[in-house]
Order: sequence, then structure tokens, then C-alpha cells
Amino acid sequence: MKTLYVTLLALLCLSPAFGQDSSKVKSPAVADSAKVLAPLVYETFSGTRVLCNHSTEMLPKRQMEFIVAHKFGDILTRNAAGNIAPNITDWFGFDNLADVRIAFEYGITDNLNIGLGRSKGVGVTRQVVDAYGKYRIFQQRESGMPFSLAYVSSLILPYAKATTDSTSVSSYPRFIHRFTFTNQFLISRKFGERFSLQINAGYNHRNFVAYNDVNGVLFAGISSRLRVTKNIGVIVEYNHQFLRPEEVVHYNPLSFGIELLTGGHSFIIGYSNAQGLNENIFIPGTTSNWLDGQFRIGFSITRRFKV
Amino acid sequence: MSLYAFIRSDQGRTVPFVAQNDKNKELLEMSVEDALIRMGDEKPIHYIQQLNRDSARMGEEMVKYGRLLDKSNRRISKFFLCTDCHNLQKESADPSNESPEAVIKYGMEHHLPFLPGSTFYGMYNKRHWYNGDYQKKYGDLVRPSKDSLVNAIQLCATQCSQGREMTDWEIRCVLHYYKSLEYRIGDLFFRKDEVNKLQKMLTGNNAGAIKLIKTKYHEANKATFGTSKIPEIANYQPKLENGEYIYTNGCLHCHSVNREITNFDLGDNKLSYKFLNGKLYAYNQFSISHITRYGTYAVNGRKQYMPQYSMENMSDEQLLDLIHFIKTKAEE
Repeated sequence: MKTLYVTLLALLCLSPAFGQDSSKVKSPAVADSAKVLAPLVYETFSGTRVLCNHSTEMLPKRQMEFIVAHKFGDILTRNAAGNIAPNITDWFGFDNLADVRIAFEYGITDNLNIGLGRSKGVGVTRQVVDAYGKYRIFQQRESGMPFSLAYVSSLILPYAKATTDSTSVSSYPRFIHRFTFTNQFLISRKFGERFSLQINAGYNHRNFVAYNDVNGVLFAGISSRLRVTKNIGVIVEYNHQFLRPEEVVHYNPLSFGIELLTGGHSFIIGYSNAQGLNENIFIPGTTSNWLDGQFRIGFSITRRFKV
Repeated sequence: MSLYAFIRSDQGRTVPFVAQNDKNKELLEMSVEDALIRMGDEKPIHYIQQLNRDSARMGEEMVKYGRLLDKSNRRISKFFLCTDCHNLQKESADPSNESPEAVIKYGMEHHLPFLPGSTFYGMYNKRHWYNGDYQKKYGDLVRPSKDSLVNAIQLCATQCSQGREMTDWEIRCVLHYYKSLEYRIGDLFFRKDEVNKLQKMLTGNNAGAIKLIKTKYHEANKATFGTSKIPEIANYQPKLENGEYIYTNGCLHCHSVNREITNFDLGDNKLSYKFLNGKLYAYNQFSISHITRYGTYAVNGRKQYMPQYSMENMSDEQLLDLIHFIKTKAEE
């Protein structure tokens, strides 16, 4: 895995041949400024999220985005004989909502975004308020700057009533135990007009975990987008956890999706083994396995407003 | 009046007035309005006797940035700036010829945006606004604006830019900015025979001189809206360079991804060209001929809209040039 990440990082940094064609600049005004700095590369991804995790894309200053996202129950299940079969009982998961999230995000500047969301939550983590701040440190240029780099810091606060079972992670002896934090760096590059790649790495910290689990989880991921047409793209997103105890049931979230862009709106329909919609939940909290048919359909709708 | 010595040696050619001496240099810089009023012409409703540079500067900031740069007033519109649809420079070499052909020729020479709105250069010298088919689009809203520049500015702020009503002092500042962009005598083109005629008129026929000067620019811009049908012009060979210019300096002026004027992004890339080429014959807002001639309307939740290009802003030939360019790039 380490070799894979090193190779991908090298690919991101050392592939000017696949970069944007600076000869496409037509406007003389832009051409003049290109003498100083090459034009920026835009639309590496269609929105501020690749699928569920953040992307290096930012909301421009004074723009707000409204996001509604859903994930349903397992499409497949194991029948009485132990074989994987369609989950007819829950109508392919539609009758068993895994998570739902409503959020608003806002561009304070072109390179600084904040967001506030509310989701149902997954497992014992219920009634979740989430917030994040994202800062883009570099933006890819047609020449000179081969990639975009962003830093995201987010947290969740589940405010469901604490259980009286002191062995449960939702017993929350102190208020501070409710918090989970994720800090990650995102590095992305757009290769030509169709293909984009992002690598992320970060640290997730849950203040209160099961006795056999660890509070801190290091993770790294890879995401990609392929634009089939101007308005349709295919997305894949994967995050890998490191140093998680074997005895704790956990799987690494792997998602595939199709995005449909209509100008101002974007619809993303995806399949994922992760139930959660926030990185603080789906990175450490995925307990579903693709190979057991435990994957689900999900979708998100975003709408941008000028404020 | 003897200052009006329009002297050119060219035989009958249409040429701009060129100063021959210091006195004429003063004349060259004289505004058309001042010249007309000296000859006894009626003052316009929005007449400004003395340009206030500070007011003009504030007007310029509101036109270019939507508010004063010191942020002492609210944004007029969060969706559009005036410069999204209007140029601030001359759009044609000869103000009496603002045909789409003249505009594109001048625009290509001077790298100007190719926009659906009239340029603010010389806007102060107009006498009628929102003419022709704009009544079809805005209905009775245009009536108070047809003969009043103040009302036209207000209509542009509230309807065209989907913003708030401007206050009196804000409109006054914009008017001063317009005055700083008014036509000068040196902008107008006179033929040699007209110069001789004008000189004679100036000695005793001011009305004739006023009339002649007013033939050198338009007091009203016509507006004729077309249909979404792709034009059919027999034996017309579309010009690729015109199409490229319109796409780059017209379409991408608003639809470039970094412009943030519209939610529908386009670029100089295969994906955009193939998308537009695939929708050429559709009857919807993604079809080039449809969106160019009809535009879109502001609705609740989506205030950004696209104004249409009238036949006076983009000719049918130029529309064919644009379609030809997109087709060519898509099929490359």
C-alpha cells in the first residue's frame, strides 16, 4: 500500500505532459496575466465532495451550497441458507434508511469554506451535528503548480440522550466524550479535461470508544473522477484505515458513483459499503462488507446560491 | 461657431474629425452634448451641466464592482455586474454604424467582449432606451424607461441585474460616470462634403447643423428579437474566425468556469463543444440558436438568467458563424 501511495504521489507531481493545455488561453487579458502566473485549473471535481468525502474544490466567495444526502439499507442480504440474496424484505434497502444529512456550506473567501450539517447518524452515534472548515492552500495551474492542496478540519457532535449502559460508547460520561474530529490533507490533480485524481491522508480522533478500540485512526484514501460527457461523470472513492485493532469489526469504505450536472444542481448516485455520510462516521464507523452484499444505494443533491 | 471647422482632405471618405490646430484640439475634446446645446438644442432630462469627477468615480465603481469600493453602500445586485452585459468602450469605429458587422470588426481589432447589452460609451447621448422588442420582454415596465435615462438605470438595476432599487445619489453618480463616457466631437465621422455643408449651416442654420450632427450617432438603439430557428441564408459561407471570436468573447465572457456569473459553465474544451453540438437542434436552453435569441428568464431560486442577443447585437450571419465554429471544434 505504501508503495502505491508513493507511486501515485509521484504521478501527481511529475506528469506535466498530461496537464492543461496553456495554448487554449484566448483572452488577451488572461494571456497578459499568464506571463506572471499561468491560469488556474478549475472543476477538478464537480463539487466540494467527491462522493462523500471532501474534494479540493471550493465554494467561491459569497456562494452557499445546500446539500441533501441519503443512504439506504443493504441492497443484498444473507438468506436463511447463508447465501447472498436480494434484500426483498427491505425492498433493496429503500425501507431501511441508513443515514440522511442536510447541510449548508458557505464560501467565506475563494479559498476558505465552512459548513454546518445535521444527520441522522449511524449505529449508536445518533442525532449528529457536524461542522467543518476547509482551506485551500494551493490551486493547480496550467503550468507551474501541478496540483491543488487543501486542508479540512471537521467534527461531529451526537446529541442523542446518553444511554445508561456504561459499557456502550453512547453512554458519554462527559460532554466532551461526544466529539469526534477528523483532520485531513487533500491533494488533487486534473489530468486533461476528463480525468481527476485525489489523494487524501489524515487523522480521525474519537473521544470515546469501545474498550478494545483505539481513539485515534490514521487513514489515507484515493478518489477519482472520469467525465464521460460534459454533464455526466463516474466517481470512485476509497479510504483505508491504519493501525486499527483486528478484533474491532471495521471495513474500509469503498464507494462508486455517477454524477449528473445540470448547472447549479448536481446529483450524485452512488453505491457504498459505508453507511455514514460524514467522514467522522464513515471512516472509522463502517461495519459493512461489500463481499457480504452489504452495500447500499445513496444519493446527494446540491444546489448553489449566491448570497 | 467658427470653431466647427471640420477639415479633411480625403475626397468624400467617411473619416473622424481630426484637429488641425490648437483651437481645433479643444473642439475635438468638446462633448457632443455641449456642442448641440451651444447651437440651441434642447437639453435632455438627465442633463448634467458640470461633470463631477468624484461622483463619476463612484459611479464607475458601482458599474464595475456593483458597489463602492469602500463598501459604504450595499451591493446593487448579487447576481450581475453592469460589465457582465455592457462594454464601457466604443464598440464600433463609427458611432453612426453600430451594425453587428461593424461591432465585430472593431471588437476583434480591440479585443472587446461581444455582449448583448449596448455599450455605456455614448449612453449619455441617447434619448430613448429599452426600445423595440424590449416591450415584449418587460411589458409595461419599459414605458417609464423609454424616454428617461434615470428610469432606464433603475429598470436595469431591478430587472436586468435582478438587484435592488438604486438610491437617488447612486443613480446620480452613475449618470456622472455616463457623462464621462459621452461622445466627443472627435468620435464622430464626417464626410468632406458634410464638413463644407456644416460650416455653411453653422453661420445661420443651427437647426440644420444639429440635425446633421445627430445623424452621426444613434439616439436610440433598436432591438429586434429573433426566433430560435437556425437561420437559413442562401450561399452564406460561415466565417470560423467570427464564430471563435463570438464564443470566446461572448459566450465565455459569462460562462467561463471562473467567472461565477452563471451556473452553466463552458470552456474551450472538447466536452463543451460536443455538448453544444449535440443540442444544436433541440428546442431548449441548451440549443445555441434558442438561447441566443430567447435567452432565459429569472425565476425564484434561480435569479441568474441569460439576456438574449437581439438581431442588432448579433446578426443571423454571426449566429451561423458561431454554430459553424462549435460544429467544427466538436468534430475535430
